[in-house]
Amino acid sequence: MIERFSFLAPNFQSQEPRELALLSIISQSFFQPFSIEDNLLVILTALTSGSGVGFNRAMLFRTDGDKLRGEAWLGPRSAEEAKTIWEVLSTPGIGYVEIIEHNRWLLTRQPESLSQIVKPLVYSLSQDNLTIPATSAARKEMLLVQNARQEPLIDPKFLEAIGVEEFLCVPLYAQDEIMGLIILDNAYTKRHIESKDIKLASLCGLMAGNYMYTTLLHNKMIEMERLAALGEMAVFITHQLRNPLTAIGGFTDQLLTNRIGEAKKRRNLEIIRKEIRRLEDVVTKLALFLKVDVRKTVPFDLKSTLLGVIQNPDLTMKSGGIEVHLDIEERLPKVLGDPTYVGEAFRNLIANAMEATAPGGRVTVQGGREDQNWVVVCVQDTGKGMPPAVRDKLFSPFFSTKDKGMGLGLLFVKRVMEASGGRIEVDSEVGRGTSFRLFFRSGQERSAEA
Amino acid sequence: MKRILIVEDEDALCLLYKEELAQEGYEVTTAGNAEEALAALKREPFDLIVTDIRMPGRDGVELITEIMGLRKDIPIIINTAYQSYKQDFMTWAADAYVVKSSSLVELKAKIRDLLNR
Repeated sequence: MIERFSFLAPNFQSQEPRELALLSIISQSFFQPFSIEDNLLVILTALTSGSGVGFNRAMLFRTDGDKLRGEAWLGPRSAEEAKTIWEVLSTPGIGYVEIIEHNRWLLTRQPESLSQIVKPLVYSLSQDNLTIPATSAARKEMLLVQNARQEPLIDPKFLEAIGVEEFLCVPLYAQDEIMGLIILDNAYTKRHIESKDIKLASLCGLMAGNYMYTTLLHNKMIEMERLAALGEMAVFITHQLRNPLTAIGGFTDQLLTNRIGEAKKRRNLEIIRKEIRRLEDVVTKLALFLKVDVRKTVPFDLKSTLLGVIQNPDLTMKSGGIEVHLDIEERLPKVLGDPTYVGEAFRNLIANAMEATAPGGRVTVQGGREDQNWVVVCVQDTGKGMPPAVRDKLFSPFFSTKDKGMGLGLLFVKRVMEASGGRIEVDSEVGRGTSFRLFFRSGQERSAEA
Repeated sequence: MKRILIVEDEDALCLLYKEELAQEGYEVTTAGNAEEALAALKREPFDLIVTDIRMPGRDGVELITEIMGLRKDIPIIINTAYQSYKQDFMTWAADAYVVKSSSLVELKAKIRDLLNR
């Protein structure tokens, strides 16, 4: 017998250790595509909820360069409020989701949220004479402070803000990188912080630190990818623009010297016009590429879109004796996408296939049902094919095997397919040809043409 | 008369360079790719080469390496649309690097400098 279990929502029973339930809730929330703020709220909720670690209040600092900045403070404002809130939250039927929603309100309510008190607190982590709470973060040490008023190492402003004698500082860090700090107390119940509370809080702190670090790395990576793409784009545009500009500049200078005759003047003007058209073409292609924005996909008939592409004189003019053979399965369901963009994507693919194929060769466009949910269209040529090294780079921006290629066509096709909820696969063999397989999601309706 | 070989895959630029450099008093031959350039070099002597980098077939870097095997003494100017290659040009054994521009003043000045050396 095989039984399947989901990572999500393992149903913890009340007799199971609360540590397990707590860790389960936190890791499930990190598993979801929530924002970092939402996930930090989950951590703070876990630390303060009765079914979690059960502290009265949780204060969060986050690092910003070498600064530690107060960001949020979760908890009731007074003992009376605590009583009311905890009564509400312990009502049967109130689950974790409701508690988190309630806490979101607690954190952000204006103007009386506790967060307003912690936000002005900022500490430098690089200075020599650090005070608590910054010491805990800088040294990556958990600190349990008791009899706070007698402790000279505590920042007086912080002491005034927190207003309690006992609190626990839990640094958040991973891979030696300080991500922040959480400070916990039992301001209203006055319950002493025990070693089991510290153990649980440290577990939450480790998870939060690792989570914040991973998120930071992920964001940095996205930023770097963005910059790299921007750099490639800048180099590419420079090249596309500089050649025509050099020609335009040079032939214009000749016109201005008056040392050339009428025939040559006319020739120069024609060259200049041709180069300007080239510049215009670059701009048009770039604009088309940059504006791919398929927000609304509609069911449409692939066959009529493909017929429109194949019969377009723009494409037939360039065919050079290469036959395009269209073979679409009968009663093909409609597919989802933006027909205009999908048509342009097919135009790109078919034009590429025709260019890759020697005269007398053949390009086949074949469409059929893959299964109940997917329709697949295969654009196949009998051209020269591609080695694996080329195939791997095929969808990179500005990569082209053509002398005057912009390297945007296939990336455009990929973006259109992804925006339509579909995908593209490529198969190629040197000397035998290339086939692109485009997978579309089936729409609900049947194609009108049976 | 000094003889210059221009290696450039853009027809309009070949024409422009040929006319402008002839006007400066040079004898100019143009080649549309590395193969044509090597054939011209085997056929006749040149005093200077101006070459593009990005070209169909073998690129300008490969061409320079080949030329070094044939004639080490011939000055080479890289003339390309890519500013980003500039920091590497010495390692390719080129003598100068001129980014393509709507004004030919810099290219003409570099050619003059290298030929009068």
